[in-house]
Amino acid sequence: MQSVLENAMAELLLGPAPERRDTESVAAWLAERGISAEDRAAMLAHGAERLLIYRELVQDTLRDAVLIAIPRSAARLGDRFARDFSRFLHERGSRTRYLREVTGEFLEFCEHEWKEDPRVPPFIADLARHESLCIEIGSLEGGGKPAAESALDLERGVTFIEAARIVEYAYAVHELSESETDQSEPAARATRLFVYRSPEHEVRYLELTPLAAAILKRLLNAKCNLRFALEDACREAGVALDAGVLEGTARVLSDLAERGALLGAAVASREGAS
Amino acid sequence: MNPTPQRETRRSEPLSGVGLGLRWEFLDEVLEGPEIGVTFLEVSPENYMRRGGYYPAALEQLKARYALVTHGLTLSLGAVDPPERAYMQDLRREIERLGSAWHSDHLCFTSAGPRKLHELLPLKFSHANVARVADRLKRVEDALGVPMALENISAYASAGRAEMPEHEFICRILEQSSAKLLLDVNNVYVNSRNFDFDPRAFIAALPLERVIEIHVAGHGARESGLLIDTHGSKVCDPVIELLEWTLERTGPVPVLLERDNAIPPLSELLLEVQELERAYRRALGRYEERRAVGA
Repeated sequence: MQSVLENAMAELLLGPAPERRDTESVAAWLAERGISAEDRAAMLAHGAERLLIYRELVQDTLRDAVLIAIPRSAARLGDRFARDFSRFLHERGSRTRYLREVTGEFLEFCEHEWKEDPRVPPFIADLARHESLCIEIGSLEGGGKPAAESALDLERGVTFIEAARIVEYAYAVHELSESETDQSEPAARATRLFVYRSPEHEVRYLELTPLAAAILKRLLNAKCNLRFALEDACREAGVALDAGVLEGTARVLSDLAERGALLGAAVASREGAS
Repeated sequence: MNPTPQRETRRSEPLSGVGLGLRWEFLDEVLEGPEIGVTFLEVSPENYMRRGGYYPAALEQLKARYALVTHGLTLSLGAVDPPERAYMQDLRREIERLGSAWHSDHLCFTSAGPRKLHELLPLKFSHANVARVADRLKRVEDALGVPMALENISAYASAGRAEMPEHEFICRILEQSSAKLLLDVNNVYVNSRNFDFDPRAFIAALPLERVIEIHVAGHGARESGLLIDTHGSKVCDPVIELLEWTLERTGPVPVLLERDNAIPPLSELLLEVQELERAYRRALGRYEERRAVGA
């Protein structure tokens, strides 16, 4: 039955490497997974190695998809990358039809453990997330053109392009060299970046102050109006909403508009947080 | 034998001659340069659908200059679980956006339940699989709104005791569905070497009037002699000969050159396209001769 074959093949291709690769051992392994004697004989008619080639092909494809996205993190992880990637395949495997999304699945699987495990450099989760943004933001759906009437208004929300995110790291991983052989460590400094895809389709980022990040996060994620975002962010940060904050916010928003990341005022007015 | 009629893309241009699989490595060059002298470009929709940014925008521009044909990798036509509805809707939108006159995918499975394996895995040549794949093809055609074409794959091991030979497996699925055949001549050659059969007899046993497109590519060899469908080298002479032999019998079916690994400069790939064009013309000359004598 096809379902028995699918399950056996998935385990053979993604599971722990078989202890023995000779035909008899692999036949016994297949028998334990419910493959009939006549099917086993056909599958192994040309030797077990020919069946196990599929394991190599599947794992290479998935590994390459991740390595291309997070090469610097993988290089810093060394052997740990191979171990964690194998564990990802065994325990979870890919659930997406899109190879570009496999890295996100892998990071979701490993991130928590990397942050908790003292043997892993403490900045790896941040660096891997940062590296993966290039493909993630670069391929997010949606473009957008500035609204015809785009003047910002305190009582209205702000519309950003869809390919924009605010990310927060415990380490300044964005300052590291792009070299895959560089093993230097980033500064341990809380970092907030506005990451977006430019009209030229390049993934770019802008480092934000804590207050600017708090305001933008509210505008971007909470879809509130500008007044609420300013008041709420200032309240949280314990700073007065004064002329300096207003001028600084206007500068940041103007900069983002020039970069093509901010499209203008939201069409409908928004009252507070939604 | 009836020649396969020339099909039209949604751009109302006849599709024949030699096309090229579009790859990101030379997309910029194709986009920015003069016409590259291919009759169509083939794209894998999974690489472009449900995404924004540069690549979909680039395809939008290419669409105005080249006929585009979609060729998928992840439908998993032979799997027990059908593709998710949302995926099918996204795929349909992408095929419509690109204006492909048909969509093709492989006669294989690429998933096991929720797990996606991202490799073309062989099916057991069984009656049960004939029925399931034929039914799946009908449902997929309905969902996509374009004709489906089924591509034969390369294989390195069997998926179980065959209840029929591979060519009969393909024939029966086509008989029980309205799908077309995307005949990968390199895959036939690779399998003929790996499983020791005559590739011409294999092709002759297929319903060639159902062939809507032909693929050719290069392959690699392991130390053991096993051939692997790498798409990582030039198309070898025996495959070009097999292509000519096939075209002599199908008539002017569009032929696609695939290259996915060790991709050379575009200029080098286009020389290979020209070589295939010459083979194409030679074969069509013989096809016309055969027609003239009623073969």
